[in-house]
Amino acid sequence: MPPRLSLGAPRTLSSLSANWVRIRPHRRFASSSADAPEVYDVVCVGGGPAGLSLLAGLKASPITSGLKVALIEGQDLHKNRLQKDASLESFSNRCSSLTPASVRNLQEIGAWPHVNTPRVQPYQEMQVWDGVTDVRISFDWNTAKPLLSPRNPSQPTTVAYMIENVNTTSMLLSRLEELGGVDFYTSTKVNSIDLGADTEKMDFSSWPTLTLSNGKTLAARLLVGADGANSPVRTFAGIESRGFDYGRHGVVASLKIEGQGWGGPDHKIAYQRFLPTGPIAMLPLPGNLSTLVWSTTPERAAKLKALSPDDFVAMVNAGFRLSPTDLEYLHTLPSGQADEVAWREKHTPVDNRAIPMRVTSVQAGTVASFPLRMRHADTYTGERVALVGDAAHTIHPLAGQGLNQGQGDAAALVRTISYAVQTGQDIGSTLALESYNSERYAENNAMLGVCDKLQRLYSVESGPLVALRSLGLRAVDAMGPLKGFFMSKAAGGT
Amino acid sequence: MKPQNPARALRSIRGYLSPNLQRHSLSRSTSLRLAPATASQAFSSTTSRHHNPTNSTVDPTEVSHFNALASSWWDPHGPSRLLHLMNPLRHGFITQCLSSSPPASHKLRFLDVGCGGGIFAESAARLPSTLSVTAIDPTPEVLKIAEGHKKRDPILAAPGKLTYLNTSIEQLPRPKTPTEAYDVVTLFEVLEHVHAPGPFLEQLLPHVKPGGWLIMSTISRTWTSWFITNVMAEDVLGMVPKGTHEWSKYVNEEELRSWFAKQPGWGSAKSLGTMYIPGLGWKEVSGGEQWGNYFFGVRRDA
Repeated sequence: MPPRLSLGAPRTLSSLSANWVRIRPHRRFASSSADAPEVYDVVCVGGGPAGLSLLAGLKASPITSGLKVALIEGQDLHKNRLQKDASLESFSNRCSSLTPASVRNLQEIGAWPHVNTPRVQPYQEMQVWDGVTDVRISFDWNTAKPLLSPRNPSQPTTVAYMIENVNTTSMLLSRLEELGGVDFYTSTKVNSIDLGADTEKMDFSSWPTLTLSNGKTLAARLLVGADGANSPVRTFAGIESRGFDYGRHGVVASLKIEGQGWGGPDHKIAYQRFLPTGPIAMLPLPGNLSTLVWSTTPERAAKLKALSPDDFVAMVNAGFRLSPTDLEYLHTLPSGQADEVAWREKHTPVDNRAIPMRVTSVQAGTVASFPLRMRHADTYTGERVALVGDAAHTIHPLAGQGLNQGQGDAAALVRTISYAVQTGQDIGSTLALESYNSERYAENNAMLGVCDKLQRLYSVESGPLVALRSLGLRAVDAMGPLKGFFMSKAAGGT
Repeated sequence: MKPQNPARALRSIRGYLSPNLQRHSLSRSTSLRLAPATASQAFSSTTSRHHNPTNSTVDPTEVSHFNALASSWWDPHGPSRLLHLMNPLRHGFITQCLSSSPPASHKLRFLDVGCGGGIFAESAARLPSTLSVTAIDPTPEVLKIAEGHKKRDPILAAPGKLTYLNTSIEQLPRPKTPTEAYDVVTLFEVLEHVHAPGPFLEQLLPHVKPGGWLIMSTISRTWTSWFITNVMAEDVLGMVPKGTHEWSKYVNEEELRSWFAKQPGWGSAKSLGTMYIPGLGWKEVSGGEQWGNYFFGVRRDA
C-alpha cells in the first residue's frame, strides 16, 4: 500500500455534531406526537461526501430512484458550496486524495461531470522516505510494472487525484439537483431519534423516528448515519465504536511553493517523510500550490499554529530537510525559526530534486489542526440503521484512505439496497443489510490495520526496527510487481 | 446417484434414523400436508384417492407445530433463516420465467399458497410490478404473525396490496372466469410435504390465468438430498429443525415435468437447481434440479 496523505478525517473538523441537541441513547417509544411522521424509505443524516454519494447513487439508478429519500444536515449546504469562478490562487485546507476507484464510482453515478476540473490535481508519482535513515521508496506506475516487460501503455498514469472536500460535496450536490427527488433539510438539526409507535393501524415500533429542529417528524425505513465520527445515529442504534487516540494532531495548511514541482505541470509528485513524531506530507494542488498534512504531537501542533507565517513556512521546509534532532530543537524556540532554519540548512546537505520544492508562503487562515484517531464501529448495520463513512470508521490519514473508504461504503450500500429492492426485501431489515456489512467491514478493517501498523512502525526512532523497516522499504522499492500490487490495492481496485 | 427403488431405499435409510426422525415429521416452512406417507407413494398422480376438495386436508399436527414456530418466523437468525436467505433466489427464478414469456397483464396478481409468516408474500407485494398478492395458509397463529408483520410496512398496508386468508387451497373459491385467476401462483417449499402431489397440484391449476405461471420449489428424492437435508442440515449442522423433512415425500424434477406434460394447456417447464453452501449462501447450481433443491416453473398456455 503506497502511503499517501490527505486531510483524512474531515468530519472531525465539521461542526455537525455540535448541531445535535439531544439524543436518547435508549430506544423507547415516542410519545404520541400530534402529527403522524412523514414516512421515508431512506433518511440520511449528514451531508458529507459519503452521505451525498449514497443519495446520488440511489437516485442515479433506475432501480432505486423511486425510493423516497431525505437528507438532514445541520449546516447550510448551499451556502458552503464552491463557487464556479473561485480563484485558483486560494484553496481550502480540507483536501483529500481520491483514488481512481472513487473517481470511477463518481463517474458511474454521474457526479464527476459536475466537478470543478481546474481545481482537481492528478498526481503521477509519490516519494516516501524514512526521516531517520533516509531510505526511500517511490511509487509511480512506470516502476511498478511486471518484471522484464514494458509498461502497458493503456494503463493510466495517475496515482490519485487531489481535490478539496468542498469540490467533492459541491459536485455531488449539483448531481443531486440534476437528478431531483431528494428532500433536503439543511441548516436543520436533529433534536431526537426515537422508535415509532405501535398503533392499531401501523406498527412503527422498529422504525427510527426523527424529530427535527423545524418541528417535522420523519419515520425512516432505513436510517443512514453519515454523521461523522461522533455519529448520533450510531449512538441511537446502540452500536459501539472502539479504538484509541494516537496522541497526535494533523496540522494542515494551504501552501505556495516556488514552482510547479520538479516534474512540471504534467507529472506532479506527492511527498511524505516519516518523522518519529509522525509523517509530514506535501501534496500537489494546481499551479504552484500544495497542501500540507503534518502529523505531530499536540504540543508541537499548537506551537506550529502559533508561529508567524514566515516562521511557519521555515518549519515546513525544515520538516522535509532537517534531521529529527534539529526539528526537535526548532520546536523549542519561541520564535525566529526562519533565521535558525536558514542557518542550519547550510550545514545539511540534501538532494533538492528528491524533496518537494521550497515553500514560499502560506495562505492566510489555513493553518489548522485536528486530533488523529483510530475508530471502528462493531458493526455497520442494525435494524433499520446503516453507517457509512466516518460514522463507521476513522482512520489515520497517512494513506489518504478516509474519504475513499466512505465512497466505497456508499457504493456498496447502494448495491445492497438495489438488490433488496429488486427482490422485494424491506431495505431496512437486518437481513437485507447483511451483505453491506459483510462486504465492507473486512475490507475497511484491513485498511485500518495496515495504516495503524505503518504509523506505529515509523514512530520508532532507533533500534533494530528502524533497520528492518528500511530494509523492507528497500526491498519493496526494488520489486516492481510487488509495488504494483500495493499501488493497485491503494488505488482501491483490481 | 439416485435410489432405483424408493421403497427399498427408504427402508434402508430408516435403519439409520433416530426414532425422533421416524416419528411423524413436521414441516418447517409450510403447512399443507395431506396424509402420512409411505415410501412407495412418492408421487401419486391418481385422483381416485380419498381426496375430497371440499374437506380440509390439513394435518392438525402441522397446525400445532406452526403455532409453536410462529413467533420466530421473522427472526433473521431463527429457524427460518434459510428460508429468508433463499427468498431473493425465488424472485430471480420468477423473473427468468416471466421474461421468457411474459403474462399479458401490466401489473401482476400473485397467489402464494402455504405462505407461512409471509416471507415471500411480503416481498412479492413490495415489487413495483405487483398489483396485489393473495396469500393463503391454514395455520391461524402463523397468519397472525404474518398480519402483525405486515403492519410494519406502510407499502404492504395499502388497501388490496397484500391479503392473507386463513384457508386451504381446497377451500379457496375457484375463479369463475380465467381473468379472475392469478398471473403467478407460487408454491414454495410445500410440495415435499404433500402426500399426493398430483391431486394437490390439480387444485392449483385453475387458479393460474392463461398466459400465467405456476412457480414452485422443492427437493429431489435422491441419496444426495437425503444426505444433505436429513443428515447434514438437521442432524449434523442443525441448521434446520429436526424432523422437518420426510425424504420419501420428495418429488423429482422429471416426475413433475412428465406430470405437467400430460396436463392439457400447460407448456414446457423450466427448472433451476439451487444449493445452500455454508458461508456463501444459496447458489444456483446447474443440473442441481436432478439431485437437490430446485425451482420449477410452468406456463399455462391456454
